[in-house]
Amino acid sequence: MDALAEASAFLFREARLLDQRSWDAWLDLFTPDGLYWAPLRHDQPDGINHASLFHEDALMREVRARRLEEKRAWSQQPVTQAARIVGNIFLLPEQDGDLMVASTFHMLEWRRRDHRMLGGQYTHRLRRTEDGLRIVLKRIDLIDCDAVHDALETFL
Amino acid sequence: MPGPDANHVAQLVQADRVHRSVYTDPAIFDLEMERIFGRAWVYVGHASQVPNAGDYHQALIGRQSVFMIRDPDGAIHVLFNRCAHKGAKLVAFPDGNAGKFLRCPFHGWSYRCDGSLHAVPIRDGYEGTRFDMQDPQFSVRRVPRQASYRGFVFASLAEDGPDLETFLGGIRTSIDNFCDRAPAGEVEVAGGVFRVWQHSNWKIFFENLNDTSHPMVTHESSVNAARARYKSLEPGAKMPFRLHIIEGNGEPYEFWDKLEMVAYDRGHSYMGAIFTPPTDPVSLAHIATLKAAYGEARTQEILEIQRHNSIIYPSCSPHTSFQQLRVIRPIAVDRTLVEIYTFKLKGAPEEVFHRAIVYANVVNSPSSNVMPDDIEVYARCQEGLETDGGEWVSLHRDAGRDRRIAGGLAANGLSELPMRNQFRAWADYMAQGA
Repeated sequence: MDALAEASAFLFREARLLDQRSWDAWLDLFTPDGLYWAPLRHDQPDGINHASLFHEDALMREVRARRLEEKRAWSQQPVTQAARIVGNIFLLPEQDGDLMVASTFHMLEWRRRDHRMLGGQYTHRLRRTEDGLRIVLKRIDLIDCDAVHDALETFL
Repeated sequence: MPGPDANHVAQLVQADRVHRSVYTDPAIFDLEMERIFGRAWVYVGHASQVPNAGDYHQALIGRQSVFMIRDPDGAIHVLFNRCAHKGAKLVAFPDGNAGKFLRCPFHGWSYRCDGSLHAVPIRDGYEGTRFDMQDPQFSVRRVPRQASYRGFVFASLAEDGPDLETFLGGIRTSIDNFCDRAPAGEVEVAGGVFRVWQHSNWKIFFENLNDTSHPMVTHESSVNAARARYKSLEPGAKMPFRLHIIEGNGEPYEFWDKLEMVAYDRGHSYMGAIFTPPTDPVSLAHIATLKAAYGEARTQEILEIQRHNSIIYPSCSPHTSFQQLRVIRPIAVDRTLVEIYTFKLKGAPEEVFHRAIVYANVVNSPSSNVMPDDIEVYARCQEGLETDGGEWVSLHRDAGRDRRIAGGLAANGLSELPMRNQFRAWADYMAQGA
């Protein structure tokens, strides 16, 4: 399989795991030091000197995944339902042997009162490991990152 | 129900309960805009957000779109966001730079940074008319009063009333401590702003800021998740800061009751925290810079003032130990905008700022694991209060047991004193005719 096909298959599988709320399987897609990051601003240089919508290592991803399944997570009564479409996938120049994959996503969410549309660009840094591709960095640039937001509870 | 007049409004607030309509009646919300937000000192922004000439920062005072802007001499002016010609808003970004002059995008009238009219195109057309360059009605209108306390800029839409320091009263100590924690004695806004919707009345948000009996119930999901994650670390490991600030909500009632609630006139209050000398490297490095700047004794004094949320009613809430400021903007009777700013302590190590960013991400972000359950229960209150299932909301806990202290009242940590105190101020504002 060529790299583009391999990356595309990975992104589609990842999207499906998130749509299905298969958090544990999704968490396993990351390398141990992998980062899940959604900047708060367009062109934000880092997540250390500036607040982020998400800036989560394994520790915080696991807390989020666990909380979403807690019986008394009041804001998940009922749970968030989502469906994503990932497209416009193309390969950027590799970095130190890692695949750099740019894509565009469109995500529909439903919970309790409101439908919500979220969308933007994904940038994945994917490492080839013995277990297959693993995420070193998933960066999500929402088109409305700097908007007033309702709660963002699940992973994008 | 009759329309809200002063007599009617007075009946809605009693010493230990409030009528549900204060949260649900659009006519009361309209009256609040006029009598509370039209009169109180409302937070606009921090001077550090407009460091250079022409820099502006937009804000809302009640329903009024205003902005503060710095002029070439360094002074800050709070102006209505409206061109004196046809009414177009002059500035568009939440924060930006207007250049040397504020220029209207419609017909090009331009103003100095103090709002005074600078130039109008095709001047000869105005000759012999009632137009007058010097007449204030052809300049950008200034808010009636503005003042700043240690860089925190407030404005009031009322011509008369107490000055800012009198208005703040005892809660000034929270702004002081916020700034004193900087070795240079000054703070600056940095690291961006979170903006979050609340589907509930603004007063519900304010009441919750000093509500100590909700954390273990509302936040059970995030507390459990943080505890479970901690258990999976190697035995004896220190709890990471990010888990600690989530897990802290799971403390039992006895813990919260030991904290001190202090309430001042005009609705202000704070929730004391128990001071335990910190041992983590970030705090130790911070303390070393404080000692170098202030000396041992003064540093101790500063650190011993340990507070959770402070409330500057009706517009903002500083968290002094983690450099956060939440700004609360009522949008409609059932909709509230909350903005969360993070500050840098001038002269403190960068790690202190990085920790403030982490705190903001974990606690105050729309993606926080903590806040969604707050947003949810506030919305459920809003929806429940709109039913005919009851007329009153209870504020009874520890009612009648407040202690008088200089400039205010104090109570045990689980007391609903801060809520009763907010409604005392609310009733005072609302009873006065506009």
